[in-house]
Amino acid sequence: MAEKRTKRVFIPGCSLPSYSPVLVEKTLEYLKEKLPGTGSILKCCGKPTKALGQVSKFKERYGQLQAEIDKLGAEEIIVACQSCFITMSQYSPNQKVTSLWALLPKIGLPERARGIGKNSDIVFAIHDSCPTRDRQDIHDGIRWIINQLGYKVEEPPHTKENTRCCGFGGMVVPANPELALRVMKRRTSEVGSDYMVTYCAACRESMIKGGKKAVHILDLIFGGPWTSKSEFPGVPGSPITSWANRYKSKQAINRVLR
Amino acid sequence: MKEVKYPQEVLNKMKEIVDNCMGDAPPYCEATCPMHTDVKGYVNLIAEGKFKEAVKLIREKLFLPASLGRVCAHPCEDKCKRAEAFKQPMSIAALKRFVADNYDSESDWDTSMEPEKTQSIAIIGAGPAGAQAALDLRKKGYKVTIFEKLPVVGGMMRVGIPEYRLPRDVIDFEYSLLDKMGVELKMGVEIGKDISFDQLRKDFDIVLIAVGAHKSAIIPIPGHDLKGVLSAVDFLKEVSLTRKFDIGQKVAVIGGGNVAIDVARSARRVGAETVHLVCLESREEMPAHTWEVEEAEEEGVIVHTSFGPERIMDKDGKVCGFEIKACTSVFDEEGKFNPQFDENVKKVLDVDNVIFAIGQIVDHSFVPENTLETERGGRFKVDPVTLQTGIENVFVAGDASGRSVIAIQAMAEGRKAAISIDRYLQGQDMYADREFEGTYETWLEKEIKEDEIDLPRINTRKIDPEERIKGFEEVDLGFTEDMALKEASRCLKCECKLCMKECEMLNDFCECPKELFSKILETGEVDPIIPYSCNMCNQCTLACPKDFKMSDRFMEVRVEMIKANDGKSPMKGHSAIEMHQALGFSKIFNTARPAVDSNDNVDSKGRAS
Repeated sequence: MAEKRTKRVFIPGCSLPSYSPVLVEKTLEYLKEKLPGTGSILKCCGKPTKALGQVSKFKERYGQLQAEIDKLGAEEIIVACQSCFITMSQYSPNQKVTSLWALLPKIGLPERARGIGKNSDIVFAIHDSCPTRDRQDIHDGIRWIINQLGYKVEEPPHTKENTRCCGFGGMVVPANPELALRVMKRRTSEVGSDYMVTYCAACRESMIKGGKKAVHILDLIFGGPWTSKSEFPGVPGSPITSWANRYKSKQAINRVLR
Repeated sequence: MKEVKYPQEVLNKMKEIVDNCMGDAPPYCEATCPMHTDVKGYVNLIAEGKFKEAVKLIREKLFLPASLGRVCAHPCEDKCKRAEAFKQPMSIAALKRFVADNYDSESDWDTSMEPEKTQSIAIIGAGPAGAQAALDLRKKGYKVTIFEKLPVVGGMMRVGIPEYRLPRDVIDFEYSLLDKMGVELKMGVEIGKDISFDQLRKDFDIVLIAVGAHKSAIIPIPGHDLKGVLSAVDFLKEVSLTRKFDIGQKVAVIGGGNVAIDVARSARRVGAETVHLVCLESREEMPAHTWEVEEAEEEGVIVHTSFGPERIMDKDGKVCGFEIKACTSVFDEEGKFNPQFDENVKKVLDVDNVIFAIGQIVDHSFVPENTLETERGGRFKVDPVTLQTGIENVFVAGDASGRSVIAIQAMAEGRKAAISIDRYLQGQDMYADREFEGTYETWLEKEIKEDEIDLPRINTRKIDPEERIKGFEEVDLGFTEDMALKEASRCLKCECKLCMKECEMLNDFCECPKELFSKILETGEVDPIIPYSCNMCNQCTLACPKDFKMSDRFMEVRVEMIKANDGKSPMKGHSAIEMHQALGFSKIFNTARPAVDSNDNVDSKGRAS
């Protein structure tokens, strides 16, 4: 029975699959290799409804996700999104919720990634996600990863537990885009380097809108080496690109876990 | 969206912020100033070189910036955060003097007033209390007449504080505002002699007594009534009006306060060669400011601390000596004035005059007996909130009620009386909302940063002591522009608003969270753009000394708005989220895959070994 074999599920969230099906696929492949018994679910956790204040809608939607998790019989959820981390930690009390960024230091990085950035001419300023500002294990994990990769880093004046919002939080972008852009620019303006690394795809987009070149940390692990000569990923031209990526991510998951 | 009805528990949490947020808390200097001058405001305008604007800001509260810049006892400086941290308070008064001396011009004075009213007000006394009340009441449109016994304005600032500390032309210039405003000044008119108090009450709708305390207290020690024993008030008044006094070569002054210092230094200037200052207190306990004692000593005054009077000796009815004895303690265990002496330690000072400067009492003899209730020191008894006496249209302000000791307090009392008088005449509640008149304790809690640098206070320039005692030339020369700029830039700009420094969004909608949530509580409404502009990042909470969770409050508002809007966000832009959610839960974009075997290290239950 397939369900019983699934000890844990990797839930990549929404923003990462919309950004890069390749990174979803490579991450899942790596987890499958290092942690047999890993399934995967591509579904929204419903956080956007919660953020709007739609209490009952959120409950209904989270219930749908929980049903999928339970159906697979997973005891642990591995998340790559910090909002997922917070939401699932709160609403899935029977599952252990693990951040991919705290997990990677335990299972190690792929062989090819180690030291890949040691000759890079780039300094990556780290942007921490604000929902998990009090998770030192995540902050430490991110820094361990970048250190293993060999890239040089810059810590912004506001970092780790004192990090500043990227501007995307709280569903402000659709409600008050002008303000959101100011918040994005304020965040990037306190950073010296032209390059930033985030571990949230939405934060990454915000940093670009704020005027920086920015990558997701999975770009550093599964791509690169990144140098000033590299072409950096931009922001999606339209929502259609994102949904197409999301669909490709679904296919990728189905392919890896065939 | 339907009308949103916020549940009580949601409102309660907002109220907690409204009650405790320090965003509107005034800095220590402003709360301490009895007149609540915007010290932080004008000091920082000076730091920016905006001197004219600084004067304008000061004048919104004070009509005597140059006078107070010289003589104010500046309780604000005692409460300055730089005093607490480094014992180096901002030199607030001297900064005020700098801009007032150099950038104040009559053409900038605000002489606007409300339309003329019919009621008339008589004010007895042209000191700071009477003048402030006169200006405030005139501004309201009342007909105001000041009756002043002396030929000059300024009260104790004029005949108590010596000229070398406050040049008289400064007072006259600043008092000219009264004329410009149309306050009538009857100089040299003594109530109780030229016009009876009862007549005044008949002629005016209101009488405000602001006569000050112009009688020196005398201790009845042996010899107190000898020829050559003087009172501080009489001595200072004559010196002020004539720059002369027929005084001996050797003088003793009794008292340890500012007045005693003024007497001793004035005595040097009218010819006394040897001046002794005798006080019960030890040097640390002396009520006079340290710098005043120092300046007196620079001018040759000999200070005998911890000594009290025993007797004044005479030869042929004239003072020839002053015997003093050691004082071992001034106050008893309960903190009451109860001096103890060591009768074995005595000394005799060879003097021609003894001047009592141990405090002033109120001369209330101009009021017919049994008209108004008086207290210790001859002070008029008043309602502490309204300054009203037992006679409902008679009020008292300043030293005459014993509620002020320094000029700026007297002005605050004058303002308080003016508020009461206006409310009385308008038939309004005289007791409502009066808790923030005069000095109060701010609710600000400011921590000095660990890396804050101790920048030393800049002292003003002074003329040489040798030169000083030759006449009544002003001793303190104040700041140069460079000094003022440097001194002003030391201000720590005390305020809370730590969240406002972190949050981009709050600055778009309010001065501080207290203001924002007060409005919601008052009106029961909030524009949806406000709660929906919060990034929910909690940076404000991290900065907040009270740990208020503003994001939770905004989230609660969002929840209620959704309820009132049929489950939908009131923000137009959020329709995109609806679409996102529909797709995010659609089968086309969803998958759930169980684990598959990828190697042999899996046991029968599918667990990695």
